[in-house]
This record gives sequence, structure tokens and C-alpha cells, in this order.
Amino acid sequence: MILKANISEATRSLIGAKQRTLLALIGIFVGIGSVIAMISIGTIVQEEALRQFKEMGTDILSINKGYGGQGDSQRKSGTITLEIAEKIPIYCPEIIAVAPYTSTYGTFKYEGKKWQGPAMGVTGTFIDLNKLRMKKGRFISDLDEQTYFCVIGNKVEEKLRSFGITTMIGTEMFFQNKLFTIIGVIENTPVGGMRPYEINEGIMIPITLVRRFEQGGEIQNIIARMSPEGGHVTASRQITDYFQKAVKGLAVRVRSAEEIINQMQKQMQLFTLLLGAIGSISLIVGGVGVMNVMLVSVAERRKEIGIRRALGAQRGDIQIQFIIESILLCMVGGLLGIGLGIGASYGISIFSKWHFAVSYDAILLGVVVSAVVGIFFGFYPARQAARLNPIEALRSE
Amino acid sequence: MIKIENVHKFYQIGPLSMEILKGVNLTVDKGEFLSIVGTSGCGKSTLMNILGLLDIATSGSYFLDGKEVSDLSDHEHSETRNKKIGFAFQHFYLLSRLTALDNVGLPLIYRGTSERERRERSAEMLKKVGMDHRLHHKPTELSGGEQQRVAIARAFVGKPSIILADEPTGALDTKVGQEIMNLFLKLNEEEGVTIIIITHDPGIAKQGKRAVRMHDGLLREGL
Repeated sequence: MILKANISEATRSLIGAKQRTLLALIGIFVGIGSVIAMISIGTIVQEEALRQFKEMGTDILSINKGYGGQGDSQRKSGTITLEIAEKIPIYCPEIIAVAPYTSTYGTFKYEGKKWQGPAMGVTGTFIDLNKLRMKKGRFISDLDEQTYFCVIGNKVEEKLRSFGITTMIGTEMFFQNKLFTIIGVIENTPVGGMRPYEINEGIMIPITLVRRFEQGGEIQNIIARMSPEGGHVTASRQITDYFQKAVKGLAVRVRSAEEIINQMQKQMQLFTLLLGAIGSISLIVGGVGVMNVMLVSVAERRKEIGIRRALGAQRGDIQIQFIIESILLCMVGGLLGIGLGIGASYGISIFSKWHFAVSYDAILLGVVVSAVVGIFFGFYPARQAARLNPIEALRSE
Repeated sequence: MIKIENVHKFYQIGPLSMEILKGVNLTVDKGEFLSIVGTSGCGKSTLMNILGLLDIATSGSYFLDGKEVSDLSDHEHSETRNKKIGFAFQHFYLLSRLTALDNVGLPLIYRGTSERERRERSAEMLKKVGMDHRLHHKPTELSGGEQQRVAIARAFVGKPSIILADEPTGALDTKVGQEIMNLFLKLNEEEGVTIIIITHDPGIAKQGKRAVRMHDGLLREGL
């Protein structure tokens, strides 16, 4: 009952002092808005980064030669042959498919025009494990073996089209002075995450062909898929054990998508926290604004406080009255601020071409934080009000 | 009913200690209509503040309904003011944002009375003071006499034991002031509430059943 009376009294009082209320509202509005925007953007960026991993599935392992170990240079000396790589699923029950690949960099040439770009030697399994999609033609097949076929990335297609080529399939171009026939075009693929290579800018050729013209074109990396029931810990151990037996003195590092995602999530949460902390600075400024407005409100209403005290209001009643006013002010500002924050993060994600998602955590946080700001910054003015001497308060004009 | 004994009040103003009340004794019976007269600065407002539990005597005792109240806590003082004392002030002291009805209901809020009951009792009380046609008007829309009527309704609404009225006619012209006095007299008759009026005007004071004069911090019977 008294709460209801307090809320309607607070509403009347806030509406009564329009200009002051508006100024305080702007402070809280911007403060909560920036916290929500920062946290939403943090969450969106996090989702965006994780999406690239999740797109390929969390059942993916990346096997890298040589790095890690105990930093012992001798252990890097072994070579992974295609045969060894392709036998992984036979010896490691948790692994159902592998796609070894090699990377190189070289010169492309088409009708006298030259440019630099990457090329990858791949097997037929590469397309499935990387979840690539064909735009035109077909992908490299294991049957292509020594044939000079290539599949081009989206950017390469654009380049060739700028030279006036309309039909990609069957067109011939040079890479490192070898003539390749284009047999397919890959759709534009987002890279990053478990696809740390430039698919769009380069070409893919049969892995068996690379050795013929590229020195040191040995397999450095293998993408592997685990069986659905498998755990990445077991799978990783099986792979490490396999390589230790298969190639003398070779150490490989196995990283699972799951592991990396967990790591990233931790980093991203820290990042979001940091953004939130930056946003909180303006919230504190807004809160100080509320405190200021509340102090003025208390000073202006000394007489009212005196009257209420004379009529039997307890100190606590006065204190609650002003705290409720402060909370109400902050909640209204906060709700508007949530709108601002979501709007801002929507704008930024449209601009940056991210997937926009409303973060309900951020909204809940906004509501809670505005109430807390209201209590925190309203407490001191309310206590001032409650401590006024009734006689002095009554005498004031 | 009310009994104060040997009440002293000192005020510290800088290095000076001023004795405002110099051993006041007063007994007021239930249902009495008492006027306290005195020139300004004689200490009558201080006495009124002490009687209204807004201030505490430096020494002496104060019995309200047979209970010593001067050494109660702030919380108990507020509660006593709320339940046993009704105030009327020279300048009415209505809250300008509230309607007449809500102003009258204020003391009941601090007792936790429900909104419906508050409105019912306030409307009833406003009717008694002849303001039932102005329930939803705000103080600025009312004349001085009307505002004082609302303030009186507010003082009576909680059925207090005593009403303390500090110069209730001081801001009103003679005719309206007399109407207000008549209202006090009527309510004193009908409700049987003890009324203490503080005034500097002997014409107002002699309308009560009893008058005391305050002079230089001391009280004596009669005008």
C-alpha cells in the first residue's frame, strides 16, 4: 500500500520537475545504452567468431606437423607421406576421415598477366571435411592423380572474369609455369577458425601432383574428423601414438575444434567483460547525474519532508520515498537505454555484416543494473532527506 | 491527558546558550479547548514543537495519555505523532502536487491504511469540514480558507487525541479566520478531541474554553 503510494508520488514528483528529470534520464539512457551496446557487440562478435568454427563442426581435429613437442628440433625431422596420412583412420578407431593437404605460394599467369597467390594440394576428402560448396563444375578427385586439373576459389574466378573469361570450366591457366585446366569453382567461403587458409584467393590441385614441381611440398597439416561418439582427448591420443610409431622421431600437435572453441570462449568473455567495463564508465557518470538530481530534489522538497515527518512519516518512509524515485528514474532511463543499446548493436552488426542477435542476458543485466544504479546513487540523497530535522525542514522555504 | 512538568529548553546559538522555556508546567484535560497566547519570540512555538514531539525538551517531563514520551526514540515519536497528534499550521502546509483528498489521506499512508479506506475516510472528513465539493482540487486551486479547511481535515482524519494548531487563522482575513475558529469549535464539540491553539490574537484566544499566556519562557493561566 505504502509502496504503491510511493510509486505514484515518485511519478508525480518526476513529472513535476520535467527538465531535471529529462537531464537525469539522458545520463542513465546513455549509460545503460552503452553498457548494453558494448555487451551485445561483445556477444555478437563472440558468436561470429565461434560460428566459423561451428560451421565446420566441432568434430574436427587439426593435425600439425612438428610444432609443439618439447621444442626438440630433432623430432621435427620426420616426413609425413600421403600414405601414412591416409592410413590414420585404419589405425585410429576414433577417426573416420582425414584430409591431408599441402600449401604453397606461387605465380599465376593467364595470357601474359601475372599475379601471386596460394595453391593447395588436396585429396578428394578435402571438400567434405571443410564443408566447401561447389559453385560450378566438380572438385578434385583422387582419380585425378597426376592430371593438371585445378579448382579455383571465388576471388580467382572474379579475376579471370575481369580478363574477359565467361566460361571458367575448361579454361587453362598457368601456376608456376605449369598449365592447369579449371574443372570447378568453389563458392565464397568464410575462412578463419579451423580453415586457416585462403581458399577464395587461390587454387586447389591434386596433392599427388604437388611433389612433381614443388620442392618441400610435403604434408604439414591434416584435417581429421572424429566419429560422432568419440571424444577429442582419446582421438588426439590415438593420433599422437600412431605418428610416433609410424614415423620415427616425429611429433605432431593435435588441436580439436572443441578445445579451440573453449579457449576462444574464455578469451571472448574477457573481451566482453572489458567492453562492459568501458560502457560502465558512462553509466557511472549517468549515476552521478541521478545523484545530483536527487540531491536537488531533496533540497527543493525540504518543506515537504518536514510536513511528512510532522504527519508521522518515519525516517525510513522518507528514505524509501526518495530511493523509489531514484529507482524509477533509473528504470525508465534504463529501459530506454536498453532500446538504445540494442539499436546501436543492431546498427553496428548490419554495418559489419555480422549476425545480429538480441542478447537477453544483456537486457536482464540492463534492468538489474539500472535498479542497482538507482539504489546506489539514490541512497545518499535519500539518507540526507531522512536525516533532516523536522522543525528545520518545516521552517525552510 | 497532557501534562508537562518543569520543562526547560535551551538553544545553543554560537557561544550563547539561550533559555527559551524556563520551567513550563501545563496540564490539559481530555476534550479541552485551550488557547496559548503570547507575543512572537516568547517561546510558544517552541512549546508547541515540544508538545507535538517535533522537538525534545532539554529537561522536564512530558506525559501524553499518561505515558512519559520525552525520552522515546525518533521512531516512537514519529509513530506517536502519526497516531495521537494532528497538526494545523499557519500556512496550511499542504502538498501542492496532491489533490485535497490525497492531502487529507497522508497521515493514513504512514499507518499502512489501504488506499480505498484512505479515500473513504478522507472524503468523509472533508465533508465534515465542508469541503466535499472540492475533493479533487489541488491546493493552488483553493482559497486560503479552503486550504485551511483541508489542512484541518488532514489533522483530524487519523482520529488523534490532540490537535495542535499554530496560528491557524494567522494567514487569513478576520471573516475567514472566524469561520475556521467556528470549525475548530464544532469539531471540538462533535469529536471530543483536545485542541490546543497557539495565537497572538486575544480575540481568537478567548473563544476557547481556557486560555494561558506565555511570557518570557513561562506560562500563566488566563489571558
